Amino acid sequence: NKDEDDEDLSDSEDSIYSGLEDSGSDSEEDEEEGSDDDGGDVDDNAEDQSLEDIRNTVGNIPMEWYKDFPHIGYDLDGKKIYKPIRNKDELDEFLDKMENPDYWRTVHDKMTASDIVLSDEQVDLVNRLQRGQFGDVNFNEYEPTVEFFSKDVMIHPVTNRPAHKRSFIPSLTEKEKVSKLVHAIKMGWIKPRRVEDDSKGRYYDLWASEDSSISAKHKMHLPAPKIPLPGHEESYNPPPEYLFTEEEQSLWDQQDPIDRKLTFIPKKFDSLRQVPAFSRFIHERFERCLDLYLCPRQRKMRVNVNAEDLIPKLPKPKDLQPFPTTQSLVYRGHSGLVRSISVSPSGQWLASGSDDGSVRLWEVCTSRCMKTIQVGGSVKSIAWNPNSSVCLLAVAVNSEVLILSPALADRQVVSSSERLLAAPQEEGPSEESDTAVWSEAEGEELNQGIRLKIQHPKPVHQVTWHAKGNYLASVMPDHSSHLQVFVHQVSRRRSQNPFRKSKGLVQCVSFHPIRPYFFVATQRSVRIYNLVKQEMTKKLQANSKWISSIAIHSGGDHVICGSYDCRLSWFDLDLSTKPYKMLRHHKKAVRSVAYHKGYPLFASASDDGSVIVCHGTVYNDLLQNPLIVPVKVLRGHAITHNLGVLDVTFHPTQPWVFSSGADATIRLFT
Amino acid sequence: MSQLQARFFTEDKRYEVDDVPFSIPAASEVQDLSNIINKLLEAKHASHTKVEFDFLVKGQFLRTSLSCHIEAEGISVEDVVEIEYVERITAPEPQECITHDDWISSVHADAEWILTGCYDKTAKIWSVEGKPVMTMAGHSDVVKDVAWVKRDGLTSLLLTASLDQTVLLWEWNSERNKVKARHCCRGHTGSVDTISTDPTGSKFCSGSWDKMLKIWSAVPTDEADEVEEPADRPRKKQKTQQLGLTRTPLMTLSGHNEAVSSVLWCNSEEVCSASWDHTIRVWDVETGAMKTTLTGSKVFNCVSYSPLCRWLASGSTDRHIRLWDPRTKDGALVLLSLTSHTGWVTAVKWSPSNEHQLVSGSLDNLVKLWDTRSCKAPLYDLAAHEDKVFCVDWTENELILSGGADNRLYTYRYSSCQTDAGA
Repeated sequence: NKDEDDEDLSDSEDSIYSGLEDSGSDSEEDEEEGSDDDGGDVDDNAEDQSLEDIRNTVGNIPMEWYKDFPHIGYDLDGKKIYKPIRNKDELDEFLDKMENPDYWRTVHDKMTASDIVLSDEQVDLVNRLQRGQFGDVNFNEYEPTVEFFSKDVMIHPVTNRPAHKRSFIPSLTEKEKVSKLVHAIKMGWIKPRRVEDDSKGRYYDLWASEDSSISAKHKMHLPAPKIPLPGHEESYNPPPEYLFTEEEQSLWDQQDPIDRKLTFIPKKFDSLRQVPAFSRFIHERFERCLDLYLCPRQRKMRVNVNAEDLIPKLPKPKDLQPFPTTQSLVYRGHSGLVRSISVSPSGQWLASGSDDGSVRLWEVCTSRCMKTIQVGGSVKSIAWNPNSSVCLLAVAVNSEVLILSPALADRQVVSSSERLLAAPQEEGPSEESDTAVWSEAEGEELNQGIRLKIQHPKPVHQVTWHAKGNYLASVMPDHSSHLQVFVHQVSRRRSQNPFRKSKGLVQCVSFHPIRPYFFVATQRSVRIYNLVKQEMTKKLQANSKWISSIAIHSGGDHVICGSYDCRLSWFDLDLSTKPYKMLRHHKKAVRSVAYHKGYPLFASASDDGSVIVCHGTVYNDLLQNPLIVPVKVLRGHAITHNLGVLDVTFHPTQPWVFSSGADATIRLFT
Repeated sequence: MSQLQARFFTEDKRYEVDDVPFSIPAASEVQDLSNIINKLLEAKHASHTKVEFDFLVKGQFLRTSLSCHIEAEGISVEDVVEIEYVERITAPEPQECITHDDWISSVHADAEWILTGCYDKTAKIWSVEGKPVMTMAGHSDVVKDVAWVKRDGLTSLLLTASLDQTVLLWEWNSERNKVKARHCCRGHTGSVDTISTDPTGSKFCSGSWDKMLKIWSAVPTDEADEVEEPADRPRKKQKTQQLGLTRTPLMTLSGHNEAVSSVLWCNSEEVCSASWDHTIRVWDVETGAMKTTLTGSKVFNCVSYSPLCRWLASGSTDRHIRLWDPRTKDGALVLLSLTSHTGWVTAVKWSPSNEHQLVSGSLDNLVKLWDTRSCKAPLYDLAAHEDKVFCVDWTENELILSGGADNRLYTYRYSSCQTDAGA
């Protein structure tokens, strides 16, 4: 029992210091007890030692006090511990020293007066301690330190202690100190620090007196553009997608050096060591210098302009009313395409000429056909005499021009027009073959209202009246002949050919509404002749291939020209002989154009079946250009045989437009 | 808003209900409200027979659901909504279809006879039942307008205006069925498009394409007025054309810049004329001076005056019917615009008995019956014509007539239920 207890104690001590393995079972230890001198196993020895360890209770006293006694102290039970019998003498000691291999590790224990052989572990421990190392082998003295106070903000406070009251209370000591200082300053015992005056001028603005011209000179200085930073393709080890494929390589080879996207071929090297010197270095530097030196650098004054601001400010069509907007009446009755229409100067009647060989007279406001006059041929052109004191109609049929008196006006007007027609024919100077022949209508034709016939040598395409109503011009287009235009004087039944030379295929003619000018439109240009001086005053160049029609503004200073190449050109006669404006609104050939007499409106009719009405204000002020705004596209005519609207004309007093089409109808848009 | 408070009232004594507010569903429509009123009336009078009603909220006819209407008109639903109800105006019943030989330019009817002007240069008298009675041929051109002047027993005076620049005054004896041209009114230098007799039947006014209005005496006499003939006119030819005694105008009113399209007498002192120069002018007949000018923006085709509400209605080429108050001095004040036609409005006529109703004809082949209390949409569309409508008329005995380019004159019996109209 006692032994076991001791063992346990020693065991525990051992484990503290040497970390020896746990003692084996008790029975084992009992067995080996007594076999002191086996000496085979060191471990066993040590174990024996520890087993034999009898705790001496004498304490830490000089052991020589027991030198003379047989015992050496007392155990836990108070019994004497006897000294082991020492039978070794000096010689034995020496022999032992010489022969015992464990002698070097045998230690004399004073407390028990016995010799203890240290085990290997114990020797190691002794050695470590002697070297100044830790006794425990497993102890790592270089473990990383755990910072207790660190920069990291912990979720928990290191101390949870509330702030001390002291931190809230102003320090009395400091207050005392400050009040002392304040008192001292007040009493003049302390002088505040003096500002050092810079009277010697040690510090000054280096650039204060600099010439401003120098900075002005460099105001426009532009720093050289930076070389772009190298990309992946410039790497010595670029990603595989940057390396050239064979196609890219061949493309690069074929390209001009200027066109190449890259000035070099990306190459792959295994390591930076293998990258050779850049062969084009000098070359590239030189080019860069050339760039900087030769390429003009300018500060680009970028103007921020809104794209919408560049669109000219046109008034809205809504503000430009009135203009025709909807189809109001359809005049049906013709069976062929209606080539030409004309409105009486009063605005009450509408005359139309058609390919079905008839001229019809319509009441404008009801679309009632009041009269139908068979003229025996397709009517190419029809024109109402613009003079309101006579009521006459000129009709171009084949190679004849018929003068009709429709008898739809007041008796006085009818009689005055009869009187105009009744004037005797002047005896022509000669009976040439290429002059117009006047004859009076007879019989049935007279009953129908036909009064005069003017026989032309060639088919007549257009008739037009002078504003006074006495003169009538007719057009017979012919390339080769100089005989293309006739001017007839109705009151004297006289015809004359004003031109001696052919200037081209005459398309249409028109009289100036006020002045004695005569407009002749050939295929490419419009010539303006002065009838008094008998000379050409102007030649308008329409930038179109084939003029179809012209119309003169009631003021006489503006002309619009429609052409078969879909264009409408507006000429300002005071401005230039070139068009002031070209309008390309139509999809197909423009057949006819017309101005309104009173309202600032003009219209164009086209083969695409539409009539486009434009607002065109003309200012008396010479400095202000005409304002042209397209306001309305009027549709209604059906396209027949690729022909749409053939003629367009305005009502003389109302903002209404009439159009006649290839679908044998006439339409009124209001 | 599911329910709202409404109070029903009427001016018709026969259909009065108790003056208490009702809570009615806001989504209810005219038919629902009509049923409510009928229920109430049945509860009140056992003998009540079902009547269809129309409803007015703040003077506007209810045409949608009540909630929509109230929202559109901006009426507060906090208060009790006052709803007036009137007996529903039943649709005009088609009566006769009188076929002419040519386009009908004008119609004027009284209680017994219908007078029409025709494009075949004649004017015709028909009985109300549609029997042809008389044809007056005398004009050398299209008859543009016709008017009854006066009736003394069996003899009637009537006028026809024509494109041949004359107005003929006819005397017609209905018993012997004899007609005689009494006077040929000469003086216009353009087609006479419109005539109108004054309320007393002693004078008439004509408007012409020559921009003039002329006032003539409508009293037949046996003397011809002196006419200054142009010296060089062939006298003989003119004599042959003469039909009746020549009459010259009492007065000429000039001021229009364009053709006069329509004239009428507002009362015995005032003449109102509409013109193509975008104006309606009111003239004083005594002095010949212009009193008021109402300026529009489009050509006026027709004008009509209602002595009941004292408003002018004008039809113009921009498809709108406009209502004007001619008493406002500065003009240009359109009270209402009635928009539903899709063509020129060629004819407009106020109801002679109802101050709210008018009828209009248009080039879109439609005749429309309007109520000024329902200005968004017409009451009824009379779609009988197959071509342009040129003329409409509305007689005292509630007959609506319309004629047009399909050569037909249609008459409609308009059941006058408006006993409260005069009240």
